[in-house]
Amino acid sequence: MNKETKTYKVLRYVFLIAACIFVIIPLIPLVFMAFKTGAEYSSTSVLTPPKYWLNLYNFAYAIKVGKLGKALMNTAIILGISISIQIMFTTMVSYVLHRFEFTGKKLIFSLFMMTMFIPIVTTQTIVFQIIYRMGLVNKMLSVILLYSGVGIVGIYVILNLLATIPKELDESALMDGASYYRIFRSIIFPLLKPGCTTLLIINGIGLYNDFYIPNLYLRKDVQTFTVALYKFFGNTATPFEIVAAAILLGIIPIGIVFLFLQKHIFYGLAGAVKS
Amino acid sequence: MRRTNKKSRTIFIFTFLALPVIHLLVFSYIPILSNVYLSFTKYSGVGIPEFIGLRNYERLLTDPQYISMFKNCLWYMIVAIPQLIFAFFLAVFINGKFRGLNFFKGVLIIPYLLNGVIISTIFIIFFNNSGTFNSLLKLIGLEGQQWLQNLRLVNPAIASISIWRYYGFNFVMFLGGLQTIPSELFEAAAMDGCKKLQEIRYISIPSITHILFINILLSISGSIQVFEIPYIMMNGSNGTVTPVIQIQQSAFSDNRVGFAAALSIMVFVIVVIVVSIQRVFDKRGELT
Repeated sequence: MNKETKTYKVLRYVFLIAACIFVIIPLIPLVFMAFKTGAEYSSTSVLTPPKYWLNLYNFAYAIKVGKLGKALMNTAIILGISISIQIMFTTMVSYVLHRFEFTGKKLIFSLFMMTMFIPIVTTQTIVFQIIYRMGLVNKMLSVILLYSGVGIVGIYVILNLLATIPKELDESALMDGASYYRIFRSIIFPLLKPGCTTLLIINGIGLYNDFYIPNLYLRKDVQTFTVALYKFFGNTATPFEIVAAAILLGIIPIGIVFLFLQKHIFYGLAGAVKS
Repeated sequence: MRRTNKKSRTIFIFTFLALPVIHLLVFSYIPILSNVYLSFTKYSGVGIPEFIGLRNYERLLTDPQYISMFKNCLWYMIVAIPQLIFAFFLAVFINGKFRGLNFFKGVLIIPYLLNGVIISTIFIIFFNNSGTFNSLLKLIGLEGQQWLQNLRLVNPAIASISIWRYYGFNFVMFLGGLQTIPSELFEAAAMDGCKKLQEIRYISIPSITHILFINILLSISGSIQVFEIPYIMMNGSNGTVTPVIQIQQSAFSDNRVGFAAALSIMVFVIVVIVVSIQRVFDKRGELT
């Protein structure tokens, strides 16, 4: 039964270790740089480790000047609100599309499905004018509003889950006199939790990392974390070792989330792929 | 009794769908339709659009400046080939149980979780004249290059960053596909004395050609929408402009909204074609 020969096992480790080196090499100089002093940065090779690993000056400077704390807060607010709305709307739409028959159902489903043909970058010329006329440019609400749409991947994830929940559950509750709203809120929604976790993860990573939308709509004081890093990076007056420290700080939130959610991330990404 | 029931049912459906559908219309369908109209006009963003027929499209298809940006997209399609091969073998090797599995998975997914600004910074350091890549080349006795200044090297250099950034996505998709292969298949193959390499050739590859095909199409539709890396790293300089950078530039800096609309529609049409091919193939995959 042991089909994996020794050669194969060795080959696997060689390949995987090589792949890890491929991933890590570009990251190493960034880490080195973040701990170097300005003089050290300009006089040593990028491959030389810093003299003092405890030089935290760059980090302190980056937090203070880059207003990274405030930006991270903004990102948290935007993500918190828009993902909650997104999850609420996605489950509501999926529930109605799965459990009810009504005129126009097919049309509405295709409208949601056809959005995969419309890349977001091809509509922003007009969307910008709409947001501008609503007076929302440079306000967090613009990004929250744009992020609150229902995506087809999310609908598929929830539809798959709804198919596993017996219809008799809804029907008996209806007999007992519960309203549709109540059935959704008290019976269906709690059962959709695993799907909501998947949505939270894929949309959370996607929106945390999004650059295009906040860069377009938040051009002044209010910035998301990604845009704050970009402004920092784009300002040529900022010494590069400070940029490196800021970027390293930018990786930390992702790292923390990842450590706690590693299993969910793989499951979530793969789950989204399969549906 | 039945009447009120029917009515409350209709009201319920309406309340649950209204806002999401309005959002969809206002932020997806109305903009794309307006863009179709504006693409035939000269429009600065204020005032009344002036109808000019196909002039915007003519410029896009004949002016060498704009043709070159579609050529830039080709680099992003080319690098997708090694990217997919790498991701595929990674998925094949990781599929199974062995020591260090979670460690490898953890490290290998890192790039996919990083945002465009972080990746751009990392690769500015990587491709700089005294950067990581040149330093490594020097170590093995090769001569460094001006990767970001040399006009012939800059596009392939920054396109290759996509390999590092996106292979993780393909990897997760391939892995998902491999894990749906029934383990009996592998067991039966092992009984028959099938070598691991034969197993990859005759079981793994055929089982996920479907996913491979989707990944190829996603890479093509992704390369036509490239924006972040060339924008953040180069701001479109040294001939690294892509269609999406040009849309942004025309619409928001040059006030050429009509022209930006025409370019948006071109990107849209290419994506529609690519996604349609995928959908047709998807349907066929379901039937067999």
